[in-house]
Amino acid sequence: MKNVGQREPNVIPGFGITLGFTTFFLSAIVLLPLSALVLKAGGMEWSRFIDVIASPRAIASYKLSFGASMVAAAVNMVFGFALAWTLVRYEFPGRKLVDAIIDMPFALPTAVSGIALTTIFAANGWIGQYLEPLGIQVAYTPIGITVALTLIGMPFVVRTVQPALQEVQRDLEDAAETLGAGRFYVFRRIIVPTVLPALLTGFTLAFARAVGEYGSVIFIAGNKFGYTEITPLLIIFKLEEFDYAGAAALGCVMLAISFVMLLAINLLQVWGRKRMMASR
Amino acid sequence: MSITLDQVTKRYQDQPVVNDVSIEVGEGEFFVLLGPSGSGKSTLLRAIAGLTGIDHGRISLHGRDVTHVRARDRGVGLVFQNYALFRHMTVADNIEFALRVRRMKAADRRARRKELLKLVALENMDERLPGQLSGGQQQRVAVARALAHKPQVLLLDEPFGALDAKIREELRRTIRAVQRELGITTVLVTHDQEEAFALADSIGVMNHGRLLEVGGPSDLYAQPATRFVATFLGAANLLLARQGADGIRFGSTPVNASAAEPVQAGREHEVVAVLRPEEVEIAATREGLSSNYIARGAVEEIVFTGALERLRVRLLDEPSAAQLLGPSGNGDARLEITRTQPERRDLPLAPGAQIAIGARRLHVLPTPLSSFLACAATEAEAAQLAHEPLLESLSTRMKTRVGVRAIDPQGGAPAPFAGVAAISAGPNAANTVEWLIRHGAGEVLVLPHNAPSPTRVFIHWTDESARRATLAVSASLLRHVAAEAVYLGIVPEGAQRAGRSLPMRALLDARSEAQQSHGLEMRTELAIGETVTELTRNLSAGATQMLVLGIADVSQAATAYRSLLAAQPGWPVLIVYRPSETRAAPEIAA
Repeated sequence: MKNVGQREPNVIPGFGITLGFTTFFLSAIVLLPLSALVLKAGGMEWSRFIDVIASPRAIASYKLSFGASMVAAAVNMVFGFALAWTLVRYEFPGRKLVDAIIDMPFALPTAVSGIALTTIFAANGWIGQYLEPLGIQVAYTPIGITVALTLIGMPFVVRTVQPALQEVQRDLEDAAETLGAGRFYVFRRIIVPTVLPALLTGFTLAFARAVGEYGSVIFIAGNKFGYTEITPLLIIFKLEEFDYAGAAALGCVMLAISFVMLLAINLLQVWGRKRMMASR
Repeated sequence: MSITLDQVTKRYQDQPVVNDVSIEVGEGEFFVLLGPSGSGKSTLLRAIAGLTGIDHGRISLHGRDVTHVRARDRGVGLVFQNYALFRHMTVADNIEFALRVRRMKAADRRARRKELLKLVALENMDERLPGQLSGGQQQRVAVARALAHKPQVLLLDEPFGALDAKIREELRRTIRAVQRELGITTVLVTHDQEEAFALADSIGVMNHGRLLEVGGPSDLYAQPATRFVATFLGAANLLLARQGADGIRFGSTPVNASAAEPVQAGREHEVVAVLRPEEVEIAATREGLSSNYIARGAVEEIVFTGALERLRVRLLDEPSAAQLLGPSGNGDARLEITRTQPERRDLPLAPGAQIAIGARRLHVLPTPLSSFLACAATEAEAAQLAHEPLLESLSTRMKTRVGVRAIDPQGGAPAPFAGVAAISAGPNAANTVEWLIRHGAGEVLVLPHNAPSPTRVFIHWTDESARRATLAVSASLLRHVAAEAVYLGIVPEGAQRAGRSLPMRALLDARSEAQQSHGLEMRTELAIGETVTELTRNLSAGATQMLVLGIADVSQAATAYRSLLAAQPGWPVLIVYRPSETRAAPEIAA
């Protein structure tokens, strides 16, 4: 007889220690600063709080921050998928190099990428000089902000979709083909649904990162009043005016919107995963 | 014919993985492609489905040439080893996939789905996801899905591979029943001979990309034509025997078995006999046997396996006894015997016991290449020759042995030679070939040093009496090398004016005989000129060529073909000698 009631041995011992450590870590690094933020904002008068968060300038910045992040994440979902597909399915010279370059935005200081993008897309930049005559202005417009956010979010999508694509068995495509399905049908009905959870995860990560992004955006945004000001920038302005409560109020709004959106995406994913989990 | 494959070849990086395979599968037939992993059977199945293109040959389904038709337009159903179900779809959606693609109405789809689920005994599982089903159930869904669009042909790629034994048998019965009920032509790929026996109307055995034999399960088991099929389909003891004018014998013990190839001009052959473990009879003494005595043996190992008892017996060396053909010489080959429980009770045995062994039923393989004998001036040189890469790879693939013997063509009369004698190429090779043939050798392999495995084998005979044997030897050789066979017909310069219809006719006859009697697919080429010149020209055209040369006149080897055998660096040449019946047999120096 085996010892009844003894827990199965685990690689890392001590449930108590690990749970305690997790809780501590989560509290010290995540929850405490966030509560401090809320408390700081809570010290304000209600009417003043509303004034700060509902000012036209603030509302314009929310629209820009979340709108541009959404667009950037969506663009990444499409092109990140295409990139991952190319890397997984094809063997070509320089594949390893491309694979390595994908991670560059992770490592680059965001300010550097911001400056680089501005140089390229400014009216006299490498690409900007050709777009200018067409009437397309990238630098110092919301388009520029979206470009910057796309750059920094791209590796998140590629890196989450890549392993999922690797797991799509060729047999599935072969099976669909013998059943009479054309290429596009196979892609739409078999490949996309199979990698959809990973694609959504990638989207979430890219979106979350874009909302919080500051460094790369401020250079290319040009920070025109009420036009290309993102919410993190407004927060910095408040701080520079020593209006800590105002900064905290804006922070709270960002926190709330981000939380709701991420929660929604996660719930969507849980629902999707449940369908997939059942089949594992 | 429902499925016709005509000389299908598929290469990966220049290596043929499917090599010249021709198969005809009849309407409603259950055909099993059997072979070890890497034999090309799955590639062939994918080629039938249209998922893999082929480099050469034709594929037709129900008389329609589909060689260049896309998989989705071929109308086949394919079932995979790992089920390949769409995991994000319910069972119903999986089964209806092919119907949805074809834009069938929802009500019709539903009706067809219900019908299929009933067929595979999975009623009321419609709304489950594949992940909620067991492996066996998933494979049933896969079968139903593959049948949804009423394909003309059902293809199954190791469908039971991922299932455990009990479910496997149950599913096997279901598939057989479904196949019978629908009368659908089916091809199943497997490496499991038991599965093949249980399901097949007809089995095709593949190895090294070639289709070796096709036949009904019991015919293939009882009368295999090749060593590979004999040993791959169940256990088999291979015994070396001699075939003379008076029949087959082991050493000096005659046995009751019929041979495939007639003895020509009174010359003895070495042959390989298949003795199935269950056809071995054992008794305490020779007198106790009711069947043909073949040897005495000592029991080495006894294993109880429930219904049967397995014995491994070492044959005691006697000149009159049978010799086992093991892959690595004589030493470690053991006779395998199975006995039923009643037999065991009649004669209880313990390891070490000495017994008399009889054969209830022997089958002599028609394959002419029985064993190799490396011959050189000294034993050491002969042993070195035996390790030539080509000879080693041939003997390993043929599951046969390479003997070693020192010879002295200047000395007295040797013991008669048996099997394929192998000698090294060189200026004296021609004389040695003649000497070997005069002393009983029927086939002589002349090997240049370090000759690579050939990619093209030329076949030529100088006399019609050697045709049959040359084709048989070529077929046997080509089953074991991944090479292309080319029959080279040579017409003398003068005969050209007499019209070319006759030689062309001979070429076509040779090709069809090769195909029908020996299962050998070969190309034919016609050359005009002097025989040796033309042979040399063709052999020189590539780096890895080989020649199988049939002759009927002993002295030809030493004279006419001297230059072929002496060439540097030279090519492997396999000489097949069969005297014509009218010509006097060469006197064997006594």
